[in-house]
Amino acid sequence: MIHDSVIRPQLVTGDKTLHDVTTEICRPIENKPSTSWKVGFVLSVIFLGILGLTLGITLAFGIGTWGLNKSVQWGWDITNFVFWVGIGHAGTLISAILLLFRQKWRMSINRSAEAMTIFAVMCAAIFPLFHMGRIWVGGYWVFPLPNAFGSLWVNFHSPLLWDVFAISTYFSVSLVFWYLGLIPDIATVRDRATTAGRKFWYNFFSMGWTGSVRTWNRYEVVSLILAGISTPLVLSVHTIVSMDFATSVVPGWHTTIFPPYFVAGAIFSGFGMVLTLLVIARKVMNYQDYITIGHLEAMCKVVMLTGTMVGLAYITEFFVAAYSGVEYEQYAFINRATGPYWWAYWSMMTCNLIAPQVFWFKWARTTPWFIFMLSIVVNVGMWFERFVIIVTSLHREYLPSGWVMYSPTMVEIGLFLGTFGLFFTCFFLFSKFLPVINMAEVKGILKNRE
Amino acid sequence: MAKKQLYWKGEDELLRTKEFLASQKNEFNEALPLDEVFSENNLGLNANRRDFLKFFGFSVAAVSLAACNSTSVRNVVPYLVKPEEITPGVANYYNSTCGACSTGCGITIKTREGRPIKVDGNALSPVSGGGLCTTGQASILGLYDTERLDGPKKVSNGSTSNIDWATLDTEVSTQLNAIQTAGGKIAIVSGTVHSPSTLAVINDFKTKYTNTTHITYDAMSYSGILIANRDAFGKQVIPSYSFAKSNVVVSFGADFLGTWISPVEFTKAWADRRKVDGISADSKVLKTIIFESNLSLTGTNADYRFPMKSSQEAVYVTSLYNAIAKLAGQPAIQIAQSGELAGDAIKQTATALWKEKGNSMVISGSNDPKIQLVINGINMLLGNYGTTIDLDNHSNQYKGLDTDMVSFTNDLKNGAYAAVLFYNSNPVYSSPASADIIAGLKKTKLSVSFAGTADETAKLCQYIAPDNHYLESWNDAEPKAGLFQLTQPTISPVFTTRQAQESLLTWAGLAAKTADPFANKGIYNQKLSASVYYLYIKSKWAAMGVSGDEAFNKALHDGVHMAPAKAAVVPAMAVSLNAIVSDLQSTIGNSTGIDLVLYQSVSVKDGSLSNNPWIQETPDPMSKVTWDNYVSLPKALAEKEGIKNGDLVNISYDKVSLNGMPVFVQPGQSNGTVGLAVGYGRMGKAGEKGLFESIGKNAYPFLKVQNGTYNTVVNGVKITKIDGNYELAQTQTHHSIEGRDLVRETTLEDIKKNPKAGNDKATPHLYTLWETKAYKKDGAPNHHWAMAIDLNSCTGCSACVVSCSIENNVPVVGRAEVRRRREMHWMRIDRYFTFENRKMVDYTDDLFLSRDYEGKNVTKEKGLEALDNREAQAKGEFTHWENVKVVHQPMMCQHCGQAPCETVCPVLATTHSSEGLNQMTYNRCIGTKYCANNCPYKVRRFNWFRYNDNDKFDFHFNNDLGKMVINPDVTVRTRGVMEKCSMCVQSIQGAKTKAKREKRKLTDGEVKTACQRACPAGAIVFGDVNDPNSEVHKLFKNERSYRILEELNTQTAVKYMVKVRDIENAKA
Repeated sequence: MIHDSVIRPQLVTGDKTLHDVTTEICRPIENKPSTSWKVGFVLSVIFLGILGLTLGITLAFGIGTWGLNKSVQWGWDITNFVFWVGIGHAGTLISAILLLFRQKWRMSINRSAEAMTIFAVMCAAIFPLFHMGRIWVGGYWVFPLPNAFGSLWVNFHSPLLWDVFAISTYFSVSLVFWYLGLIPDIATVRDRATTAGRKFWYNFFSMGWTGSVRTWNRYEVVSLILAGISTPLVLSVHTIVSMDFATSVVPGWHTTIFPPYFVAGAIFSGFGMVLTLLVIARKVMNYQDYITIGHLEAMCKVVMLTGTMVGLAYITEFFVAAYSGVEYEQYAFINRATGPYWWAYWSMMTCNLIAPQVFWFKWARTTPWFIFMLSIVVNVGMWFERFVIIVTSLHREYLPSGWVMYSPTMVEIGLFLGTFGLFFTCFFLFSKFLPVINMAEVKGILKNRE
Repeated sequence: MAKKQLYWKGEDELLRTKEFLASQKNEFNEALPLDEVFSENNLGLNANRRDFLKFFGFSVAAVSLAACNSTSVRNVVPYLVKPEEITPGVANYYNSTCGACSTGCGITIKTREGRPIKVDGNALSPVSGGGLCTTGQASILGLYDTERLDGPKKVSNGSTSNIDWATLDTEVSTQLNAIQTAGGKIAIVSGTVHSPSTLAVINDFKTKYTNTTHITYDAMSYSGILIANRDAFGKQVIPSYSFAKSNVVVSFGADFLGTWISPVEFTKAWADRRKVDGISADSKVLKTIIFESNLSLTGTNADYRFPMKSSQEAVYVTSLYNAIAKLAGQPAIQIAQSGELAGDAIKQTATALWKEKGNSMVISGSNDPKIQLVINGINMLLGNYGTTIDLDNHSNQYKGLDTDMVSFTNDLKNGAYAAVLFYNSNPVYSSPASADIIAGLKKTKLSVSFAGTADETAKLCQYIAPDNHYLESWNDAEPKAGLFQLTQPTISPVFTTRQAQESLLTWAGLAAKTADPFANKGIYNQKLSASVYYLYIKSKWAAMGVSGDEAFNKALHDGVHMAPAKAAVVPAMAVSLNAIVSDLQSTIGNSTGIDLVLYQSVSVKDGSLSNNPWIQETPDPMSKVTWDNYVSLPKALAEKEGIKNGDLVNISYDKVSLNGMPVFVQPGQSNGTVGLAVGYGRMGKAGEKGLFESIGKNAYPFLKVQNGTYNTVVNGVKITKIDGNYELAQTQTHHSIEGRDLVRETTLEDIKKNPKAGNDKATPHLYTLWETKAYKKDGAPNHHWAMAIDLNSCTGCSACVVSCSIENNVPVVGRAEVRRRREMHWMRIDRYFTFENRKMVDYTDDLFLSRDYEGKNVTKEKGLEALDNREAQAKGEFTHWENVKVVHQPMMCQHCGQAPCETVCPVLATTHSSEGLNQMTYNRCIGTKYCANNCPYKVRRFNWFRYNDNDKFDFHFNNDLGKMVINPDVTVRTRGVMEKCSMCVQSIQGAKTKAKREKRKLTDGEVKTACQRACPAGAIVFGDVNDPNSEVHKLFKNERSYRILEELNTQTAVKYMVKVRDIENAKA
């Protein structure tokens, strides 16, 4: 069945034939890596090295190498964690929710968005793991494992434990979903493979895909099921992350608005990151026909919508604080806007609420270089949002005697940069060894597919 | 009637058959199925080949796995001869006398396995009254100090070489005899000695070496008082001050709660006279009025504090005299200058004093004898002698006369002395005439120091004959006339050191005469008790009336022996105050010049123990600065000179200058004055970077001779800002309370009318998800440990902070880590300033800020900023910075019944005990730090690094000697875990076990937390709130008690009691 409207603009431009799609998308895999790929990859690996170095320092000497102190015991670490988890959300949203809503424009971008999800969650996971004082025991004590200590068990009241389940579930489901979608394409690469090594490995990972109707049928069904499973995850993961804060008694954290606000923020930042990646990728890999201006425009609309939502949330928080009559809560918010970290707050407001409003203009939504700039702004803004929530709430709490300032050390900065190294290293490897666009699905939406 | 329940495992046991009883005699009452495995034939095994391989394989694997473990070998060495009184795991307590300073507080020393690990006040001693100051608490670490000398030393050309005692004795004796024969002069320079036996030893030495002079030298002396009393009354003593009998105390710069003469004794007496519970309308508390330049601990606790320029003290003191004289109808002092302070301070004070004549005290911290004479005159006018001030049962705690030291220094410089012995004094460091002493020392034939460490003076002497630490020593003391105390050793000397008294006796040829009664009676007894000096003391005490073993042992057990008090005589004053007018006028400084007021900080004091990391890490109660001294500036001066916190200044007077001093803009610092603490800038071991090095700078050279004594006030110093920055390591960086309801206070007037005054705020609170805890055991009430802290008694002295750190093995983290706000103190004292807007600047025109002011008191950051800006624009005096009210609030884990930290830990490492304690399970902690973030009181401390065995934290946790002080009952925490106050759970457990073994109930007051034991003011009460007869239960019911942040419904187990000030209510 074909549901395409005749007058609707084409999702893939350039009158591609099925063969065109195959050759063009397989090209980066089958050809030698380009110079730009090499340069990018080496840079990423250097940053990955920084990650290794800073993690090593942290492990060798302790969390004391970070800038945390007696009052601000979460700083850049958890800021980065929430930042990366948030970024992951766009992938799941695109692959799951847009699949359920039959938004076909998702087909050219879902693969890379999902890859982004997985890599972002990997980056995110580093922080809660390494922020533990004793990762060597904490790494497994947070799981409810049977043990030799009798009734020693985890604390199901703790939002951190909910995090453990939420993130690990999210990661595994995303990975399976992504891999499942890859199978038909890996099979395509396998069929076109010319070298023995490539034949072997792509054969291995395609899991004996034959392309028969029955396999396709099962593929579709499983995709739908996984989409169904993933959909609540889009909402649940960041809801639970937000509960790390919302269930506490810290003024500025203790708010019920956090779950929806965090989810909106996550989608906002995720789309920001997808835009950053795809604006570059479509240019470098010459995929303008697959990832069209139409795609970019659609994503810009999502960014504008969610940006406005988080902006509304920021303002609502102020109203609730004022309305609550709780002096500590009121102070926390006044302190955000006018205290020593006012610059972080206003960076956040500017980047997240004000900047995306330019997407009301069509020119802004359809000019790739501008979109790229704006997507960076969004990423910066969302990082600041987490910094504002975490640090400015903690640094001035109930007792003024405990009021302190916090600034990161080189190790923390290195860790943050290092996760970008990990992220881009993975992304470069992905773009070299796997088809970044879902060939099988894109072929389904070609005009001249008959 | 209770019936004993019987259980049995089987019918056999119930019936107790013969077979059963027989089988019970064997370890295994049934035959073991051994023959299933072993057999006589078949190689002795019933196993087949497969089983054999299984067993074999398992054994090999198990053995190899076991062999993989490289457990280090640690030896536990048993006693060769077990001392009778030492049981491993059981603490012994000995009463003794603190040797940290010459105040001579009675102490109780806790020892474990023969090593002292904790010092607390001895309640039997009237000087300590059961409490102990920060310095005394921390002094125990001096015993385990790696900078201690390990034996006698000979110093030549700046290099130190080892020498044995016998050689040293021969060489020194020969020299002394030669000097005696040649008629050379010998000097013994010591700190205050009030030990009767030590004084006798010195006399014996003088008998042998007839040309010996004993010079008593206190780095911060009380010569002014001594000379004034000598001149006025013919008694060269510091009198006893009775706070108990006073209703008003007026202090001119005397920090009697912090450092002045006997602060522990005074704190207790002061706090006792500030009790308000059940107070009747006509009863009084001790109204405290202080005039001072630097904000002192007493200043923070006074009812009225008047900022004063110390160089003008003579003006104010004579004005006060004249005001009282007018009321008394006596002639005034004829002096041209007269002064009054803002708010008619002098006049009001005179009225308040006159109302309480005979029940008041006027004291001064000045070291100028002439000013002290006027103070004596005031007290004479008020008739305080014989009632509140007692010259007959006087204090011996400071006897040093600066006049003696000044003339000694001159004589030494001129080569008048052939030999000098330094005992318990370090004038090369602390004397402003240090250069003269150094020059003079070179001219002596013999110089010996008894210092335990190679201090500045010892390094320049020919011989160092290191004295024992006071915890290794026998000694006695007479801190106040008629109050005798003993010092007893609690450990064998750690190094080859010898008591100074024994050295002196040996050189005087008296040591050999005393026989050793413990010879051949076992190693232990011999080492501890056969000291020559011990026998000497015993004979002296026998002469004193404490004769026989029984009487002496009782005195030793109590640590205290009191002779009956003498009747106080009302003296007549022999000096006419009009005769000293010109001397008084000479002390008055230029009113436009900047005064430098030197002071002792509450924990470092005179600096003799300043290499002690516990002392250094204890924040100054007023500025919360650790690890440095600094120039404390008034805001007006800072604004004028453009100096901010973090800047560096040069400070100079005459030829003395200190360059690159950090500054702290101190609220409460009087305009026109700056403060600087002495006791810093010690020099460490040569060539090594010890702890001494780089802790502040030495301010002693600024001491100025005035009317014959070293004066702490220098008028006309120059302060210049220089380039560069220096961050002081502060434990508290925000100083205003932001209008929050954390510390509640009221006035005496109000609380007399309504015992709930200041505490009648209704607190709505959050709802809780959880069940309210009942603390029951088998249906009956279990213990519920709780603590009540009386903010009205707490002075903020911080003794509890040190005590807690010692008891609980809290690591010292050092200056750099304190700068990162990572001090580990489980207990801290929050200190908040309220800036008094006495000019009543109106802010109501300021739209955004009008909310931030509450009339006279500014407590919010933004309000203060606005007020500062207005003052700066008006080029004003920033009087709101001078006039601050201060509150101290001890803060530690509140042991919440509904603890925010407990619910958020993912691994249940912090849980609630059935006795109401919030427990930390260090072994389970993985260090997510969520608990600390969620703690509203911010009392949780994270181990950011490994603080033990880590040379980056070179304090005492990284060496075997320093580790001896570790409390074996408390775990030393590893890197990456959270820790916090446990309410000394080890003490609770210990007391419970003891009571259980003795088959009785725990009694109230049996468990005392470390902070409670240390508190000189008795502000902390710990106990079982479920016990209706307990002290803490009563305090929890007290109208003044409240919970901090009650609106959070954390149901804390700590309650604070409203602070009460004896001030007039503001007129509406």
